[in-house]
Amino acid sequence: MRTKATAIGAALAALAVLCALFATSASASPAWRFNGEELKTTEVILGGAYESSMTVPGLTTSCENFLYELTIENSGGTGKGKLTEVPLFNCYTNSKACIVESINAEALPWSTHLATFSSKPFIVIEGVKVGIYYEGEECVLGETLVTVTGSAGGVIDNTAQTATFNSTTLSESGTSLKALSQKIEWKGVFPTEAFQSHREQAISAS
Amino acid sequence: MHKHRTRVVCTALLAVSLTALGLAGSAQAKLVGNYTKFAQCPFTNAEVKKCIYSTTESGEVVLGSKTVPIEKPVVLQGGYGKAVEGFAPFFAATNGITLAKAPQNVPGGLLGVVPESKQNWLIKKLIKFFFENSLTGLNSTLELAKPATEIKISENNLAIESGTALKLPVKIHLENPFLGSNCYVGSSTSPITWNLTTGATSPPAPNTSIKGAAGELEFLEEGRILETKGAKLVDNAWSAPAVTGCGGIIAFLVNPIVSSQLGTTTAGHNTAILKNTIFVGSAVAVKKNNEENP
Repeated sequence: MRTKATAIGAALAALAVLCALFATSASASPAWRFNGEELKTTEVILGGAYESSMTVPGLTTSCENFLYELTIENSGGTGKGKLTEVPLFNCYTNSKACIVESINAEALPWSTHLATFSSKPFIVIEGVKVGIYYEGEECVLGETLVTVTGSAGGVIDNTAQTATFNSTTLSESGTSLKALSQKIEWKGVFPTEAFQSHREQAISAS
Repeated sequence: MHKHRTRVVCTALLAVSLTALGLAGSAQAKLVGNYTKFAQCPFTNAEVKKCIYSTTESGEVVLGSKTVPIEKPVVLQGGYGKAVEGFAPFFAATNGITLAKAPQNVPGGLLGVVPESKQNWLIKKLIKFFFENSLTGLNSTLELAKPATEIKISENNLAIESGTALKLPVKIHLENPFLGSNCYVGSSTSPITWNLTTGATSPPAPNTSIKGAAGELEFLEEGRILETKGAKLVDNAWSAPAVTGCGGIIAFLVNPIVSSQLGTTTAGHNTAILKNTIFVGSAVAVKKNNEENP
């Protein structure tokens, strides 16, 4: 009798462990939430980077205004989205010789999804394509169009309501951006804020 | 009176000399720092937009059945202009040495291309003579087969690892006293044309696709110079014409022997793999650096 109880106990314990495991794997695909409630419809997030720059060794290109429009929804319990607009303004380099004549996000929309890496929620942007045309008669890239392509994963801070992209987050998410066949560094901190029916609600990914 | 006139003339001559020296001094402006590599770039030519200094540090050239490793650095230098239909025109180095001659040792030496066995008595005697006099070493030197203007560069293809990045018309000089001074594979009228890529090749059989690499970039001098390390340029779809001029007056005997030893050199049997460090600078920046350092 005692053996039977022990067996049932063990089975329940195993079930509990399995449930816990499933719960963990479920959290591997976080959903968009507002005030803790899962998003049932679509929402539009607008924002601009606090700071953003990309670096090929020896040359950093920064943009004062790196805006974005992201339409989000949950599909099958996972947060998804589309970056529909990424206007970039006032971009410059750290070189006196090279100026950014034009910079444009191409092949929009870029698809996004939420994922968990290192137990943290991430937003992964796929199909990134940005064309940068440099000018400057002393610039070795003068009259050259440099295209940045790839995917980028940024960690979401649910408290600060920001998404941060840097070499660590790209590495953690197994993503990379390339320009001139080189892996480039991209740094950016983007606030996340809803601008439709969930305006002024706390946004999170979990 | 005469003494005074002499003194005036001497003073005038001295003044002229000093002026000339001063002018010479200002003309001898020089490049400093990272710009020194571009000393032979024709940057004073307004059509030249970029200066290039590329060193092939290693790699190999396979011609038929012979493989020649690149052990001595080969320098390609000069300038290039604005791209037209994707390819920029090349401008020769100011000292005329656009592609520096760097003799590479051919493994197997002379006997590798002219084996002693199976030859007629004359060839055997000659080979014996050269062998006894330690003249059996064989060098292979890459030379430009056409004017530098025939070189074409595609910066875009170089960067995106696709398509021809460097079109190079060359000939290979086989050097050994027995072969004479005019033993070549390729010529100005029938050059070997390398369509080098940093991407993947599509050669005819029996060769299979090989892949190059754009290398690792670093901007120097605040974006005025671009250094690329580990740029791997490859082509294994080129064909080579028959050897010519080997053996001097007995070329009619030696050419067929060398050709037979090289084996089939039609497309699909040859390979060029060049591993380079490439410096590219803005011609305006190079010119400015030159003017700033009298």
